[in-house]
Amino acid sequence: MPYHEFECSKCIPERKKHAVIKGPGEDLTSALPLGYLNTIPGSISERGCAYCGAKHVIGTPMKDVIHMSHGPVGCTYDTWQTKRYISDNDNFQLKYTYATDMKEKHVIFGAEKLLKQNIIEAFKAFPNIKRMTLYQTCASALIGDDINAIAQEVMDEMPEVDIFVCNSPGFGGPSQSGGHHKINIAWINQKVGNVEPKITSDYVINYVGEYNIQGDQEVMIDYFKRMGIQVLSTFTGNGSYDDLRAMHRAHLNVLECARSAEYICNELRVRYGTPRLDIDGFGFGPLSDSLRKVGLFFGIEDRAQAIIDEETARWKPELDWYKERLQGKKVCLWPGGSKLWHWAHVIHEEMGVEVVSVYTKFGHQGDMEKGISREVAKKLRVPYLNAHAYHNGPWKGYEGWVRFARDIYNAIYSPIHQLAFVDISKDEIATDTKFVTQKILSDGNVSEEVKSSNELREYTGKYDNLTTIREKTYPEYPLQKKLSVV
Amino acid sequence: MKDKVEQLVDYIMKKCLWQFHSRSWDRERQNKEILTKTMQILCDEPVEKETPTDKCYWVDAVCLADAFKSRYAWLAAMDKVEIKLLMQKLKDRMDYLTVTGSLNEELNDPHY
Repeated sequence: MPYHEFECSKCIPERKKHAVIKGPGEDLTSALPLGYLNTIPGSISERGCAYCGAKHVIGTPMKDVIHMSHGPVGCTYDTWQTKRYISDNDNFQLKYTYATDMKEKHVIFGAEKLLKQNIIEAFKAFPNIKRMTLYQTCASALIGDDINAIAQEVMDEMPEVDIFVCNSPGFGGPSQSGGHHKINIAWINQKVGNVEPKITSDYVINYVGEYNIQGDQEVMIDYFKRMGIQVLSTFTGNGSYDDLRAMHRAHLNVLECARSAEYICNELRVRYGTPRLDIDGFGFGPLSDSLRKVGLFFGIEDRAQAIIDEETARWKPELDWYKERLQGKKVCLWPGGSKLWHWAHVIHEEMGVEVVSVYTKFGHQGDMEKGISREVAKKLRVPYLNAHAYHNGPWKGYEGWVRFARDIYNAIYSPIHQLAFVDISKDEIATDTKFVTQKILSDGNVSEEVKSSNELREYTGKYDNLTTIREKTYPEYPLQKKLSVV
Repeated sequence: MKDKVEQLVDYIMKKCLWQFHSRSWDRERQNKEILTKTMQILCDEPVEKETPTDKCYWVDAVCLADAFKSRYAWLAAMDKVEIKLLMQKLKDRMDYLTVTGSLNEELNDPHY
């Protein structure tokens, strides 16, 4: 096994199996690091806790909900300033964050009374919101507060409200991944099947494992709606609490991030017989394949093909403009969750960059299998790309993939990298050279033919491409009232 | 034949998502259902797709068969007996890489 011991981990031998170098001729049966491990203290040990994985990753993207943490106020740190899961209701779930503000005295005397008071106060402060998720934290779990009982008491007194209890304190798993698991299972156990939805299409899906980072979900929903598909719920980005209680009525679960949400898909398959189809919204090829598969499942592949043709014709020349300028550039991938394996191959194929390493902070061995199988990883001196919570998205969809290429281009060819080599305290500053632009830097190695191409062009989309989607109307496909999906 | 199998394995590893479900029983079922249906499509045999479950496997099989046909010209020169043998060897290899030879310690966790 080609384990790789980093210099900084030499004094922490327990980490020996945390990294591998996959060489030529080696496959998954000979190169796979351990995963889903308890954190071993030392350098590079920061990760999210199980509470974070449940609330800040999966719970809070639900948009029409008061997300209350029962614990110290610091547990609610992650909100609009760190999280990018926006919503089409003015980002209610990001703008407001709630904690019961537990202090030492509550640890000694209990905090159930405080919790109840906070829940009622929050509902009164936002009278239009009737749904709440309630999260256990390390502090409240250790003193044994019965938050289920308090939630039930409030629901008995306020029958118009509904509360979901997530019991995933920070210590409840090795990393945020443990919290993903807990909230998946808690949601299907407590809430799925409680609401009967209005079915408006012959083709009904749940879109699972999608968190609407910078609008990704809205871009994908646009494609589904154009195909005449009813998206019953999104788990959970831009998703609605009551829609997610009706997940059992979908004909198909379309799964994007398997790391964070395969549990609920697998359980929906076991309990309700709903099949799971893994899809990928990143990259022209994977996205086109994904739309085609969903179309095939419902027998409407012609509708999928029309979207693929239209979008490819519109955006491919722009993707290729960047590809020509990114050829051979080396990148390390350090994204969150599913992007590790979603990007590992396609970013090379469609943008021309060379992926030299893949890394995951909370992935399981299964995630590393997916990543390693797609690339030979080798450690070289290269800059890395951190693309966990991007700010210039959406990056999903055809246009989004071009935006991603543009952002990589902007990063690699930023003149700042040249300027950073100059030490103004001692170096002589040249005054006879002009300022260098990105295009001067990028086009130095590009052929005349490419530079003068009439087909290729830089990104021409708008800074805000979501407003148009939100205002769109869609073709109507009358319900045929089929008895079965197939 | 071995080289051909490796070309198909390489395609699946780089392009597909269905082979890495989280438990060994899932991976065995995925490999069996999707690769069997792919073989049936390549050999012009009827494919079960009446239930939603079968339909879902069939969807992945259709895309895989199309990709194999368009990328590997040598496939057109093979007769049905050879294709069946090839696909059986492909399934054996996928089972080894993703299940029996896998180093993933979570594969045999009894729960999801």
